[in-house]
Amino acid sequence: MSDLTQTETPPQPFANRALDPKTLATVALVGLLLVLPFGAGGYLIYSLSLCFANAIGVLSVSVLVRYGGEVSIGHSFFVALGAYAVAILEKQAGVGFFVGLPVAALAGLVGGLVFAYPSRRLSGIYLAVSTMALALALPEILVHSERFTGGFEGLYVALDPLAGLPKAPQRYYLALALLVLVCLALARLRKSPQGLALLMARAHPRAAEAFGITRGWARISVFALSATLASMSGAMVAVASSAVSPNSFTLWSAIFLLVGSVVSLNGLTLVPALVGGAFLTLVPNYLAGAGDWVPVLYGAVLLGVTLAVNSASDLRRILTRGGRP
Amino acid sequence: MTAIENRSVPQRLRAENLRLSFGAVQVLKDVSVDLEPGRITGLIGPNGAGKTSLFNCLTGLYRAQLGRIAFGGVPLETLPPHRRAALGISRSFQHMALCPDLTVLENVMVGLTLERRSGWANAFLPLPSGTREDAMARRKALAALESLGITAVAEILPAELPPGTLRLVEIARAMAGNPKALLLDEPAAGLNAVETRDLMRALQRLIRPDLVVVVVEHDMDLIMQLCDRIYVLSFGQIIAHGTPAEVRADPEVVRIYLGGDDD
Ligand SMILES: Nc1ncnc2c1ncn2[C@@H]1O[C@H](COP(=O)(O)OP(=O)(O)OP(=O)(O)O)[C@@H](O)[C@H]1O
Ligand SMILES: [Mg+2]
Repeated sequence: MSDLTQTETPPQPFANRALDPKTLATVALVGLLLVLPFGAGGYLIYSLSLCFANAIGVLSVSVLVRYGGEVSIGHSFFVALGAYAVAILEKQAGVGFFVGLPVAALAGLVGGLVFAYPSRRLSGIYLAVSTMALALALPEILVHSERFTGGFEGLYVALDPLAGLPKAPQRYYLALALLVLVCLALARLRKSPQGLALLMARAHPRAAEAFGITRGWARISVFALSATLASMSGAMVAVASSAVSPNSFTLWSAIFLLVGSVVSLNGLTLVPALVGGAFLTLVPNYLAGAGDWVPVLYGAVLLGVTLAVNSASDLRRILTRGGRP
Repeated sequence: MTAIENRSVPQRLRAENLRLSFGAVQVLKDVSVDLEPGRITGLIGPNGAGKTSLFNCLTGLYRAQLGRIAFGGVPLETLPPHRRAALGISRSFQHMALCPDLTVLENVMVGLTLERRSGWANAFLPLPSGTREDAMARRKALAALESLGITAVAEILPAELPPGTLRLVEIARAMAGNPKALLLDEPAAGLNAVETRDLMRALQRLIRPDLVVVVVEHDMDLIMQLCDRIYVLSFGQIIAHGTPAEVRADPEVVRIYLGGDDD
């Protein structure tokens, strides 16, 4: 979790950070991704743009897992909130991504707060099931509010964020920039008082109260933060894929977000996020090509996730018990 | 409670006639304590006497069914734990409650949460105000580690450290925020002789005219040397209190402690 791996010399907090091999590798990777469009084909660039956008969605679920100790199977709801915010703003007001993104983030924040407040006492399977209700309700809501959402067909997102520049590269670079910024913000969160407080509340909620960290604050904050990130991911997905429609935001999308987070070991840095994002971008494509095997493969994926989530929580329990009598 | 006390007057932490039960089990029966600032008060008693439960009542983790608690004249009974923390009541936990994901220094910084002013914008963006505050919090946390002689482990995760050191981290976190009342639950449990001596010195250095310190301990030598006043709790009742000499001479206390319980 921590990107600060130096342990020997406590008093200089940030001295060695630039030389950290992990940081160097990440910087090199970003450098590689920056020059990639000059030598890669259009389909790869398109897929990678989508992968970056999805990676932010995976991070949103990982934030909930890492800082809240909770699992959501409904984050497609918040992703859709962001995606539709961008699409509807373009259709109704003719404004582009740079207005759409902040509005999407705000929509996610408000949506997250509205959901988190009444469910602040729910946890574990109960919270997961109530998030699932969000994901299940979503396609119905989208289809029924056809006037705004375009119903089954959905909406196109055609405006270029940066007018005049070529379409594919600008989407690619915007998605990459947003992903990198989100990773940097999350790295900072980890060191911030809020980040410390959330991790403490997750590990020992009652002890945390004795230091002024209330459980309600922690739960609502984590969920709202996670939902905001999910909506930002949705805004980017809308632009990267040029369209939004109900069948991109089904219960399966929500489950794949969770699977993507598990596959990335709930990591909150760039490389795990890219692994999760790649999973989210590629697997549905392969599954779509599998024809009759689709239900079987879905079942296998679901089984895999269940087992992985269970063994992960067992592992975590063993690890945390280790330090205590 | 007594008349409203002036702000400049050091605050005492008082509990009167506390009664706490879990189902049919009476854990505290009519417990009254008067914990004065400027000195260290010891709280001793056999296993299961209710010492931790009394701390939990004082800090708000448990709600006593009956009785009153006040800190400097402010009634606490109805306040939740975080509001009591905001009044300056701090504690360490017998069953250590360190966060495994945070380094030692970060765990201690958790004890400064109530002092932190920087908002969510600072949590994501490198704004100068947040960076300054972070540096300040790190300095305070390091000072707390320093006072217990464990700065060397500041950047290490709890899982890699022995229980004795973790115990000191737990105490450093309770001390870090400059509390007005410091409740330490078995601070010397798991410490070796050297660590215990260092802890004792650190606690003695901590004494300030406006600070209430209460120590629950099974280590009698430590308690007798460290404390000015001692309460003895047995089966949920205060059976004796006074100076170390008075308590040591109390026949009831002698009976309990010679009755086989001295770990
Ligand atoms: N939450 C609870 N639910 C039920 N019983 C409890 C609870 N907390 C404490 N007790 C009971 O209250 C009694 C006193 O426990 P407490 O932990 O306060 O004792 P203690 O004096 O701190 O003991 P020790 O020296 O072993 O730490 C015990 O019998 C314990 O089982
Ligand atoms: Mg106890």
